[in-house]
Amino acid sequence: MDETVAEFFKRTILKIPMTEMMTILKAWDFLSEKQLQNVNFQQRKESLVQDLVLLCEKRASVHDAALLDIVYTQFHRHRKVWDVFQMSKGPGEDIDLFDMEQFKSSFKKILQRALKNVMVSFRDAEENAVWIRIAWGTQYRKPNQYKPVYVVYYSQTPYAFTSSCPLRSNIPLLGQALTVASNHHKIVKMDLRSRYLDSLKAIVFKQYNQTFETYNSTTPLQEKSLELDIHMDSRIIHENRIEKERVQRVTQETFGDYSQPRLEFAQYKLETKFKSDFNGDILAERKEPLRCLIKFSSPHLLEALKSLAPAGIADAPLSPLLTCIPNKGMNYFKIKDK
Amino acid sequence: MDSYESAPQHIASSRLKDYFIGATPLQKRLESVRKQTSFVPTPPRRKIPQCSQLQEDNDPQKVAFLLHKQWTLYSLTPLYKFSYTNLKEYASLLSAFIAAEKQKGLAVEVGEDFNIKVTFSTLLGMKGTQRDPEAFLVQILSKSQLPSENREHKVLWTGWFCCIFGDSLLETVSEDFTCVPLFLANGAETNTAIVGTWFQKTFDCYFSPLAINAFNLSWMAAMWTACKMDQYMAATEFLWSVPCSPQSLDISYAIHPEDAKALWDSVHKTPGEVTQEEVDLFMDCLYSHFHRHFKIHLSATRLVRVSTSVASAHTDGKIKILCHKYLIGVLAYLTELAIFQID
Repeated sequence: MDETVAEFFKRTILKIPMTEMMTILKAWDFLSEKQLQNVNFQQRKESLVQDLVLLCEKRASVHDAALLDIVYTQFHRHRKVWDVFQMSKGPGEDIDLFDMEQFKSSFKKILQRALKNVMVSFRDAEENAVWIRIAWGTQYRKPNQYKPVYVVYYSQTPYAFTSSCPLRSNIPLLGQALTVASNHHKIVKMDLRSRYLDSLKAIVFKQYNQTFETYNSTTPLQEKSLELDIHMDSRIIHENRIEKERVQRVTQETFGDYSQPRLEFAQYKLETKFKSDFNGDILAERKEPLRCLIKFSSPHLLEALKSLAPAGIADAPLSPLLTCIPNKGMNYFKIKDK
Repeated sequence: MDSYESAPQHIASSRLKDYFIGATPLQKRLESVRKQTSFVPTPPRRKIPQCSQLQEDNDPQKVAFLLHKQWTLYSLTPLYKFSYTNLKEYASLLSAFIAAEKQKGLAVEVGEDFNIKVTFSTLLGMKGTQRDPEAFLVQILSKSQLPSENREHKVLWTGWFCCIFGDSLLETVSEDFTCVPLFLANGAETNTAIVGTWFQKTFDCYFSPLAINAFNLSWMAAMWTACKMDQYMAATEFLWSVPCSPQSLDISYAIHPEDAKALWDSVHKTPGEVTQEEVDLFMDCLYSHFHRHFKIHLSATRLVRVSTSVASAHTDGKIKILCHKYLIGVLAYLTELAIFQID
């Protein structure tokens, strides 16, 4: 085996946490059960990696290593930041039957025709999706295996998710390959980005507002307020009880009962004039808007926003600029005065 | 401590007036104790930082290394029997102390075993008035083991001590004490701890981390926005931390520096100074602009960081100074906070 390939194997296996080693190797499905049984998984990681690389040396190629990398990334998809692309067909175009093998070969050909050194690997996934791994090279250099781009394409939909591309100049080519290979006409990058691929899917496929139970949405609220009364001393009363209940109701109507899709941030580029009821003469003569960039960050943004009004930090209903995020499938906004 | 008679009017106190208007914090404190009234910890107005005479004396090149670096802030009580003539001696004593601590295994230094060198030097021009003591700098550098390699010494840790317009503190101490209430450190925490321990043992002083609360962060944002800049290098930016559970939420709000200045100019009424009302109004305008769009009350959240083209400050007591012109102005405010913490 080539030294660089052995190194690639070594570095890929080293990334895998010990607790996941067996699971990922099994999912990779390259080493047989028998071979895996003969490996000592109790030893220190460095020695384990050496043993595994030796095992692979005999018949594994760089493509097998790439597949292992895909499996690792599938298990650790939150380590990448994913962008969302939406494709569209031209007017009057027929919806043809999608052929996965034809898509793969066409996609690969387009990239290879444009760039001399590029390595493309595919791994099929559930829901008619395919994970594509692309390692970019240059005219004179072999593909760099340590900065690949991943594309997850759901073939029954016009959506593809891509991990951030370190070489921005390759993005148009990537877009073109996707569009042409999947028989689409146009591709557009959505203003939506997150580490949580599954949440992006839920937003874009409008699957986030599905609850498993169906019940009358008013009853839980009543139950909640009853609970408060039963467990508390009757001498304690809630101030603004009516207002609190209104806030709860409005929040529930806006956000629903289901768990929110997970996003880490929302960014707003504002170019709006300053207007204030109380400070009317401040900046009154200024025609130019205030140029602001506002960013909300949280481990779970939508859940955090949901808790603001009940906590008294925000008004209810919360601004549509925030509540529209899952509906519009956006977390990057440019807001100007009308 | 000996009582200290206030000196007659001379250049120093007129310089002090350049900075404070009204009573110094210490005078106010005494006043409130006497009258038993509630104590307002900061003066209601401050002068906008200007380029002071003394600052023009200091060489921008020599202090360039202080800019664009993050410093962790501490307040420091006066040093007993510290002498500027003994700097070389202090350097070798501290060097020996560090070596001894390392042998004890207390210093956690990962990597190769290298020799270190300690330097003490004065920073000329780093003061507000002539009365302020000289600022001084302590550095820990690594020495290359190999004599053949004439490598430049790498700076591992830097700490500097200063006092900018520290009259309120200087007035209260006797001549045996040197007042350098503001201490700034850059480098590994373990080194800061060792240096701190040595100073505490040697000069009977006490370091205390200097946090900056939201009130003072708002003041800094207003004052630095008020500073005249020829060129804006950075947006005026605020960071709030929202106390919601179970998920935390951070809100960052950056305004184009020209727009921030326009807002400030519209709020600003008193030439040459900044008042409490103006700071409150400035922040209020930012809050209301935000509320108009997002229906969120920023005033109910915690201001954690402010950043302008002049400097950026974090509530945990971290500062980065970006502009040489207002270096003294920024340090003056921090000195004031340090002195307040010591009192």
